[in-house]
Amino acid sequence: MTSSTNKLFFIWRHLNKLRWLVLSLVFAMLVALPFVHVYQTYVAAHAYDLLAPSEKRLYDIMETLTAPLTNDPAEDLDAIKGNTWSGTFWELKLSDPLAVVGQTAATLKVYTPFLLTALIPLILTVLFGRFYCGWICPATLMYELNSNLAAWLQKLGLRTGNRRFDLRIKYLVLLVGLVLSALTGVVLVAAIYPPVLIGREIYYAIALGGFGAGSVFLLGTLLFDLMVARRGFCRYLCPGGALYSLLGRYRLLRIQRIVETCNDCAKCNAVCEFGLDPLRDGFGQECNNCTACMAVCPTDALTFKVRFQDQSAQGPGHLGRRYRNQQQGKQQEKEEVES
Amino acid sequence: MQRRTFIKSIVASSAAMATPGVARSARNQPSMRYLRPPGAWAEEEFLSRCIRCGQCGEICPNRCISYFGLENGLASIDTPYIIPRDKGCILCMKCGDVCPTGAIPPIERTAEAIIGGVKMGKARVDERLCLSFQGKTCGVCYRACPLQDVAIYVGLLEQPHVTDKCVGCGLCERSCIQMPQAIRIIPDHG
Repeated sequence: MTSSTNKLFFIWRHLNKLRWLVLSLVFAMLVALPFVHVYQTYVAAHAYDLLAPSEKRLYDIMETLTAPLTNDPAEDLDAIKGNTWSGTFWELKLSDPLAVVGQTAATLKVYTPFLLTALIPLILTVLFGRFYCGWICPATLMYELNSNLAAWLQKLGLRTGNRRFDLRIKYLVLLVGLVLSALTGVVLVAAIYPPVLIGREIYYAIALGGFGAGSVFLLGTLLFDLMVARRGFCRYLCPGGALYSLLGRYRLLRIQRIVETCNDCAKCNAVCEFGLDPLRDGFGQECNNCTACMAVCPTDALTFKVRFQDQSAQGPGHLGRRYRNQQQGKQQEKEEVES
Repeated sequence: MQRRTFIKSIVASSAAMATPGVARSARNQPSMRYLRPPGAWAEEEFLSRCIRCGQCGEICPNRCISYFGLENGLASIDTPYIIPRDKGCILCMKCGDVCPTGAIPPIERTAEAIIGGVKMGKARVDERLCLSFQGKTCGVCYRACPLQDVAIYVGLLEQPHVTDKCVGCGLCERSCIQMPQAIRIIPDHG
């Protein structure tokens, strides 16, 4: 690879920043929507004079923010509702595929209108794999900040958890969750799936005045990530992650290493939140296309490729020492043979 | 401090931190005499259909829909409910429109469709508490009812009589000026 082609991949180094922006926007939306809802109820009640000073402040702020967008806040602001588990955007309803799978397991019936709400996420997952985990999930923002906290704690000399378990545990969690849902007739996965918990807990905290029981579970997962395994919940336990991994197994868009420009620095392996092995072409179905490895690669040796399967191991990078030694060894052998 | 003790204390304190919310919501309900949102399926079917996305509460313009914590058992955790004495349902039927799962089926906002499709419960008048039955004219529940003369009609001295067409929205219970309320919704969970 020449340096001129590297310029093509220059943009992909910045995708990670875009990803953080998207994650923050989704999270900000989850925080903003309960406020919008509370404001709407004030408008619908025509009760401005009866509001407490703090409520009046909220009313004024929301009125200033939304006035350019709406004529009738009580009706027009109904356009966007919900969270990443299931949401409404104007007439379009979108749901997490796990919600559909969970409900189908609980009712043992297929409800087509609900099935269709998961169609767009499903297609995107088949094309892009676990992209939801890396790019949209509000829990990812929290867990990645949590990993950063772990890094800071390590700098301070504290030991944080870095155990490894079998990645297949999460498929067991998904299976057991669905079987239990079918047995109890209750969508149980909704109680242990962090993105839905976050969406709900934010709503409870803002609109209903207190966190619910799910926040205990969220705190538990954060501590698990901090003290037992880095990003442990997403990697080993998350039922949604399991479903997305399965759906994205033969995804079209994959990150791939360009062996010619790789210098074996292993920064990609260190930065990978999911503990994958980009250095030895080990992405697999777990990769969530988060592009953190691309952002950190000093030689732009990681790129997107349209393929149904990962490249099999390509050996040491051509700019690295191991490759040079190998080549020298081969040359010496050749010379010895020739002489 | 041992590592195990440390972990235990962290878990205990995090549980304690989050419980005030649960405890508060539990205190607010004197009993589990709750209603499901209008048009919701019978309890068991509702529980298996509801995915706990929280959109029904988010769209409710009257903010009458709250969500269960652990106080009504594990099965109904995070499911919507209405306590009519706190806030009744104004039958705007937006929750049915927004519900993606059909746990609250969409129902048109007309009197016929609502009477036909909604059965949250039925109001019952306690004649020993009701002012009108005690000789003082009141009629507040009648005036609060969205289905006047259909679900509830008044006789002599504005004495309220509930018919079978009552959908159980709870606006009468909310409006009752007696303490404790003389008209109550008896929930119908199907």
